[in-house]
Amino acid sequence: MDTQWPRYMVFQQEGPDQPVVHNGTVHAPDAELAMLNARDVFVRRPEAVQLWVVLADVIFTQTQEELSTTASINRLIDADPPPAAGRLIDFYVFGKFTQQAQCRHVGEVQATSPQAAVQAAITTLADKQPLWWWVFPVSAVLKNESTEAEPMFSAARYKTFKDQAEYPVVTMMRALRNQKANQKDTENTK
Amino acid sequence: MYGADVEQIAIQLNEDPQKLADFEARIARGEKIEPGDWMPAEYRRQLIRMISQHAHSEVVGMLPEGAWITKAPSLRRKLILLAKVQDEAGHGQYLYHAAETLGATREEMLDALLDGKAKYSSIFNYHTTSWADNGAIGWLVDGAAILNQTMLARCSYGPYSRAMVRICMEENFHRKQGQEMIILYSQGTPTQRAMVQDAITRWWWPTLMMFGPHDADSPNSGVLIRWGIKTRTNDELRQDFINQLVPDLQACGIVLPDPDLHYDAASKNWRTGPINWDEFWAVLKGNGPANAERMAARRQAHQDGQWVREAAAAYAAKSELQVN
Repeated sequence: MDTQWPRYMVFQQEGPDQPVVHNGTVHAPDAELAMLNARDVFVRRPEAVQLWVVLADVIFTQTQEELSTTASINRLIDADPPPAAGRLIDFYVFGKFTQQAQCRHVGEVQATSPQAAVQAAITTLADKQPLWWWVFPVSAVLKNESTEAEPMFSAARYKTFKDQAEYPVVTMMRALRNQKANQKDTENTK
Repeated sequence: MYGADVEQIAIQLNEDPQKLADFEARIARGEKIEPGDWMPAEYRRQLIRMISQHAHSEVVGMLPEGAWITKAPSLRRKLILLAKVQDEAGHGQYLYHAAETLGATREEMLDALLDGKAKYSSIFNYHTTSWADNGAIGWLVDGAAILNQTMLARCSYGPYSRAMVRICMEENFHRKQGQEMIILYSQGTPTQRAMVQDAITRWWWPTLMMFGPHDADSPNSGVLIRWGIKTRTNDELRQDFINQLVPDLQACGIVLPDPDLHYDAASKNWRTGPINWDEFWAVLKGNGPANAERMAARRQAHQDGQWVREAAAAYAAKSELQVN
């Protein structure tokens, strides 16, 4: 009936000093619509200064479990053509560092293939060994322009009714109970 | 079966005993299982079943309240309801994403829903007959969902767990706006008080059914708990909900539709009368008050969106041609 559109991974930066983190995915026929869908699905609340969308298929991932088996290591080495044969590409490197966390931006490496990029990340970013590596070419990412951030994300800032703190239900329940207790006291003294 | 040791289970599930033992050890250490990791086929199957049902529930869950957006009594209430229904759409998307990481495609999940093959929460097959139902849904239905989702936020599968953390944060707004509405109306005019009483009377029992069958009749619970997908049983969660809600609803002056409801001082629990499970199974099998209406609305919405999908695809194809 319908054909499924490609899947785009969505990354979000919540503030200027925050890392870019992975959020989820959207389906879209192209990156431009993926960006619009990502805004609607992931930025209904104001915590965003930047969104990235990347075709899910271009992201190469390795979990710690995969890396711990010799077969995987061999796969990394075998798949990697000798440096002279390939052109060096800039890769973004992401990692998941704790069991609860999402993948976040770690740095960039230059490599000839995604497999080589993971190897390069293991060597050059060795002080941070994540539980899960993700690498993808810098050129594969669509980001919003910084001038677009205000019109894209600021509308959510004024919708304070989406914040649970707007509803003082605990205080309201306490007031209701006090009122009931006072009524009882008055009845008892009559 | 699931009280048994790993070797027996490995034989029954036709899995490698060593891999299964390692997998269970990871879960016991509190580690998250990520999409690339080894997992038993049954773990994958159970998660796809649960997450897709959960996603469908979010999507169908837009319908009972969505019908009231144009009838909201004030601009503030309208904005709140719009945002809430939009959140449910987003929650459906987060969850379809989590299921996709296990190999299910969004297309096959959506088709299963539209073909009437997929299950979703029984609660959305009841009608919303008054404005106060939106308050009852927020406080009761979303309140019940949060208890379940708070548990699932700790589940062993990484993508599901992370989707739940995000959803729980947003659901707290849903619950509190509903509770605020019920508290205010319960102290309002006689008409408002009657409207609130009527809404809670109708939503109380269906909400208790949301937690699912009693533990003894819940066939999937054993494996779900063993592998850290669920960490608490249906009955435990239901009891927590009853203990939280009964005193608050009574403080609002609302009478619950259960002559057997009483406080058991020995166990410090509120005890309800028997739940009508015949009604629960009937609704789940498609014979609830609004099942047919919900599915018809969902199919209509999908059909009405057809031209948008076609236009988007045509635009993408055209841009690609221009680039090449």
